[in-house]
Amino acid sequence: MHFAPLPYLDPGSGSFLIQLLIAALLGLGVAVRASWGTIKKWFGAKPKADDEDDESEAK
Amino acid sequence: MTNPKQNSGQAQQSRGQLAASFRDPSGFLFSRDGVLYRQVNRKYEQEYARLIESGLYEKLVKARLLIPHIEADQALAESDSVYKVIQPERVAFISYPYEWSFGQLKDAALATLSIQRRALKAGMSLKDASAYNIQFVRGKATLIDTLSFEIYKEGQPWVAYRQFCQHFLAPLALMALKDVRLNQLLRVYIDGVPLDLASKLLPFKTRFNFGLLTNIHLHASAQKRYSGAEVKSRAGTMSKQAMIGLIDSLDATVRKLNWNPGGTEWGNYYDITNYSDAAFEHKKELVGEWSARVKPALVWDLGANNGVFSRVAGEAGTYVVSSDIDPAAVEQNYRQMKGEKTENLLPLLLDLTNPSPSIGWANRERDSFDERGPADLVLALALIHHLAISNNVPLPQLTEFFAKLGKWLVIEFIPKSDSQVQKLLVSREDIFPNYTREGFEAAFKQRFKICEAVNVHESERLLYLMEGL
Repeated sequence: MHFAPLPYLDPGSGSFLIQLLIAALLGLGVAVRASWGTIKKWFGAKPKADDEDDESEAK
Repeated sequence: MTNPKQNSGQAQQSRGQLAASFRDPSGFLFSRDGVLYRQVNRKYEQEYARLIESGLYEKLVKARLLIPHIEADQALAESDSVYKVIQPERVAFISYPYEWSFGQLKDAALATLSIQRRALKAGMSLKDASAYNIQFVRGKATLIDTLSFEIYKEGQPWVAYRQFCQHFLAPLALMALKDVRLNQLLRVYIDGVPLDLASKLLPFKTRFNFGLLTNIHLHASAQKRYSGAEVKSRAGTMSKQAMIGLIDSLDATVRKLNWNPGGTEWGNYYDITNYSDAAFEHKKELVGEWSARVKPALVWDLGANNGVFSRVAGEAGTYVVSSDIDPAAVEQNYRQMKGEKTENLLPLLLDLTNPSPSIGWANRERDSFDERGPADLVLALALIHHLAISNNVPLPQLTEFFAKLGKWLVIEFIPKSDSQVQKLLVSREDIFPNYTREGFEAAFKQRFKICEAVNVHESERLLYLMEGL
């Protein structure tokens, strides 16, 4: 099936598939990091500030 | 922004719609009485409402990642598919990725990822990641296409992923790891560097870099293998967490790519010039004095090196486009500008002997360099001998060129006796009998009034202030 609604730019089939693969790998990392925060919180660590105002520019 | 004639040359279709703005059905740009508007079509109503109501618009504008706009009178609409008409802040000068230094392209890439991360938090996602949607607005890489957002549906991959890799990751990797001049591939490939080409050109060692292995090399192979195949995946195959992982990984990969200026043509130009501090100071003084007198809204400093004189011309807040042929000089200029948080300067990579042409569909998507003018004041310091002697351009042709670019001209004439000119002549025949003060003035008088001609202290050089006739 297609992802609805169809995008106005062709994202490319290969680009979609490789992306799913990479993201599956990396998603695991994000999940671990996210729960790592929760684990640390149990032990009384202060949660990190939100990255809303992260510096987006090259150093 | 303030100068209504900026971009006046931008290619336009009938009824004011800009020629570069045709691809996205969500809306388009149009110009009315010199003011730039964007029509938002009814098709985009839901997305526009979410952008505003979720607070994403405000957050992005506050972080200076998105161009601010005001909602304008709907009666201005160009077609009846209108939902809203918005008036974005005017960009002082539109520039293109093949005119940016490494650092500029890198900042544009990081800005795009930062926007995507914030968009995801607000339940939206970027539907394109075109480098042409980023402009330097008051010194900072900013998204100028307000209609780039779509509503994010969990499970949906990033539709702009391929475009991000082609427009940003591939050219940055090539510049950092192969040769900085490869950014010029963007001039040929308007939708970014094809990934199979990038994969072939990148050094073998990049296969050991996780980000480049996956996002360029394997990505290129997957494109080839699955070209035209229907994606039969279920919705929900890419969790939001996975999407964030992908964006973070792209961010880390981009951040690790670095290129440092040095060892190129003009990198240390001012340390090896043949003129004294007094001459240098005198030139600065004259440029400052004449800029204040002319009061330009837009200055083009051509052959600006790292922008010393651009900063003098921009002292009163005038917007200065500071261009040079040397990637190292442009990079230094950009770093200094960023460090000092200068808002009215745009370093730009430009070869005047072959300036940016108009490119894209019907040759009207991206304007040539001169179509983005004219400037009010053009600076041509220590430049003319390169054009007249190294590039063999006859003086009357140079006159025509400068007359087209701007109304006022500050130009330096460097006589043949000067050691810099001697260097250019050392290995070639002197076929320039007219390259004299008299020949120069006679040629330029055809199109300019010479208002001032001053001998630069402790040198044989002459600085002129001219006004177009």
